[in-house]
Amino acid sequence: MAGVNGAGINGPIEESGPRGGLLGAPARAQYAALASLRWQMLRNSLRSVEGVFELGARAITLFFAFAVLGLGLGALVGFSAYTQVSHEEWVYLPMLFWLVFFLWQVVPVMQASFQEQFDLSSLLRFPVSFGLFFLLYIIFGLADVSTIMGGMCCVGLWLGITVARPALFGWTALAVGGFAAFNILLSRAVLSWIDRWLAQRKTREILAVVFMVAVLSLQLLNPAIYQKRHTGTASIEQQAESRRKRKAEFGPWLKTGYSAQEWFPPGLAAVTLRRFAQQRQITALGSLGVLGMYVLAAGGLLAVRLRAEYRGENLGHAPSRSIAPPRRKEIARSEVEWRLGGSGPITAVIEKELRTLLRTMPLLYALGAPLLLVLVFSGVFFKGAQQGHTSALALPVSLIYAQLGFTQLFYNNLGVEGAGIQVFFLSPTPIRTVLLAKNLFHSLLYGLVLLAAGILATLRLGLPDGAVMAATAAWLLFSLPCNLAAGNLFSLLLPYRVNPGRMIRQRGSRTNALLSLLSQTAVLGVGATVFGLCLFGNRLWLAVPIFLALAGAAAFALACVLRNADGMANRRRDSLIATLVKKE
Amino acid sequence: MEPAAIQTYGLTRRFGSLTAVENVTLSVAPGQFFGFLGPNGAGKSTTIKMLTGLLEPTAGAIEILGRRFGAGALDLKRQIGVVPEGMALFGRLTASEYLRFVGRMYGLDRETANQRTEELLEFMQLAGEHKKLVTDFSHGMQKKLALAAAVIHGPKVLFLDEPFEGVDAVAAGMLKTMLLGMLNRGATIFLTTHVLEIVERLCSHVAIISQGRLVANGPIEELHAGVVSTLPDAAKDQRLTLEEIFLAIVGADGGQEPAQELSWLA
Repeated sequence: MAGVNGAGINGPIEESGPRGGLLGAPARAQYAALASLRWQMLRNSLRSVEGVFELGARAITLFFAFAVLGLGLGALVGFSAYTQVSHEEWVYLPMLFWLVFFLWQVVPVMQASFQEQFDLSSLLRFPVSFGLFFLLYIIFGLADVSTIMGGMCCVGLWLGITVARPALFGWTALAVGGFAAFNILLSRAVLSWIDRWLAQRKTREILAVVFMVAVLSLQLLNPAIYQKRHTGTASIEQQAESRRKRKAEFGPWLKTGYSAQEWFPPGLAAVTLRRFAQQRQITALGSLGVLGMYVLAAGGLLAVRLRAEYRGENLGHAPSRSIAPPRRKEIARSEVEWRLGGSGPITAVIEKELRTLLRTMPLLYALGAPLLLVLVFSGVFFKGAQQGHTSALALPVSLIYAQLGFTQLFYNNLGVEGAGIQVFFLSPTPIRTVLLAKNLFHSLLYGLVLLAAGILATLRLGLPDGAVMAATAAWLLFSLPCNLAAGNLFSLLLPYRVNPGRMIRQRGSRTNALLSLLSQTAVLGVGATVFGLCLFGNRLWLAVPIFLALAGAAAFALACVLRNADGMANRRRDSLIATLVKKE
Repeated sequence: MEPAAIQTYGLTRRFGSLTAVENVTLSVAPGQFFGFLGPNGAGKSTTIKMLTGLLEPTAGAIEILGRRFGAGALDLKRQIGVVPEGMALFGRLTASEYLRFVGRMYGLDRETANQRTEELLEFMQLAGEHKKLVTDFSHGMQKKLALAAAVIHGPKVLFLDEPFEGVDAVAAGMLKTMLLGMLNRGATIFLTTHVLEIVERLCSHVAIISQGRLVANGPIEELHAGVVSTLPDAAKDQRLTLEEIFLAIVGADGGQEPAQELSWLA
């Protein structure tokens, strides 16, 4: 027992990093091994046709994100900085830094749901020092879309300010560099803490609700502000008076807010530059120093989290304990919440789908968010409605938007099954029956959601013209079987696993996403063409029979897809099972 | 003469240039507890996937209960139960919701599905977990649930891929009791496992697959006699365990090229 309680056992754990620090030969060998691992993973992913398609789709997405968003935003921010500095309008410069800051911190959380992440904790079984682990965590973050976009904006800021005031070249590099370092460290720290909170299903679901409410609240700000701005038809004098009142009301708050923001990193970076430009070197160095302290604090926040992970923090689920089994009546009572009638497999699948949907936050969010956004869209048409001329497109546009929420349900309808997909292949129920049940359930949801969206839009904008309503309803009848038919095909041919508990960091399929977007665009394109032509010819009622004829053809296509579903599923069952069963 | 419960003819599966299972012909009589053994990567799971319709054979044929079996043989699928490699569970359902769902997918009416679900949950000691989602179950609990789902429709032939992996001794004992009960009522059980003691205790017949080929097939006593006959006279009287028989047939190296000694290993 002495040994157990002795100093040898209770002594501190000796921690030692690789010889030579972060740049020594052992560390360099580990960098090379990791780079080689990433390369091999990429190369191996190209062994399958799906992998090649996935890479192509990824390249298109990244090109759009980096070239269009990154370069575009960078140029815009750079030009704005140039204009402000060359006109000595330093007072507005902090707004640019704040814009970049929000972009950098908010985008990672949003886009992480579409981005596959390499789990660095798998490296912890190797002799990797904490410094190396920390460094790698930051390096892997440099490839994030937000970091590249934010980085390009920083380059834009630096170029814009330097071109306007070449003397500030070095100081701008320092201030913008410090600002960029702070953002990189903070965004990684935020993501690492989110990962910590999302490690368990229950916290994940609570946070998902919070996240959903936050996003929806942000989205609802728009109509609230828009409505305030556009209600009433005040005269110019009344508007000027209203502006003066608002200025008097909010002026002191804005002043206080402006002074306060100068103590936060985006404001500090802008203030530093203004002070250097005004030759106030000491105070400028002081602000730069405070900015440096923020960088250290963000690094510290990240280090605290990573240190816990490095030490082997276990975030898994608590082991389940055996508890006394309840009596049968008790089980029955707790489970008789609701059950659908009928015994057949179609009812069984519909009941399962409904239960799964009610417990799958990303799907509920996908369905609910567009519905609420219909309010936003109807706000766009609201002014016209008040003046008595609602656009003929108000209702169809609102419904089209609401329909977007069904993309994942339609186009990856097996995604949430996971290992359960095998039940469909093992059981005597044909796959076409399963797909038919899913299609029925999704059609019902589609009807309900679009009815709700239609009611919302109508309540806000008034009842549209009868021909518009009839044409829209006929178009929906065409769109539904089209999307179901294409969705069944995509679900069998390009499925991807959906982790039902996750709002972020889903491993989606870019190929599926791009092609489903194309398919929906085609259905929309047909609708818009028919609608446009009939509207142009002043015979909108003609759209109804055209859409109904198209709906008949689409229903026939859906029936053909369902008829061939068993053959397709059986031919692809191996890869289908492998894709949906594989562990994350 | 009663047809074999499971019969394969020249069953073969290739993945590109790799032949995972080659020309496997075997027969399992009705009411037999059949152990299907082999080293890792020998082709056990691939074979069981083909036998249950999860994977299409490249060549060969399968008969279950005397009838030709394939993915589209829905009537036959009603007669078989499977615990596949990935367990085939739906994480977002509770155990009872899952069992009722599976029961109905196999054609049971609602009342029967409900009744059997309650009985199975109690038997598997999962009744206390009625509010928990399957995704929150431990590995062992998920195995028990997968087994319950495999038997809910009362199959005549049961395929079990590693059913005892990750299951504690108490649960394993309970599962064995249940399987023996099924066997006594005339079911046929086809089992793959790495736990050879279980096979030795439960199975009357075994087949051993190595590198995709069937290298032994028959009653355990017969395999024992075959291995003993190759031993020197002095060792012929000893009683070999199944592990020793397995190693003698497959080779201690699992049919691979013998590895060189790792002289640098402490």
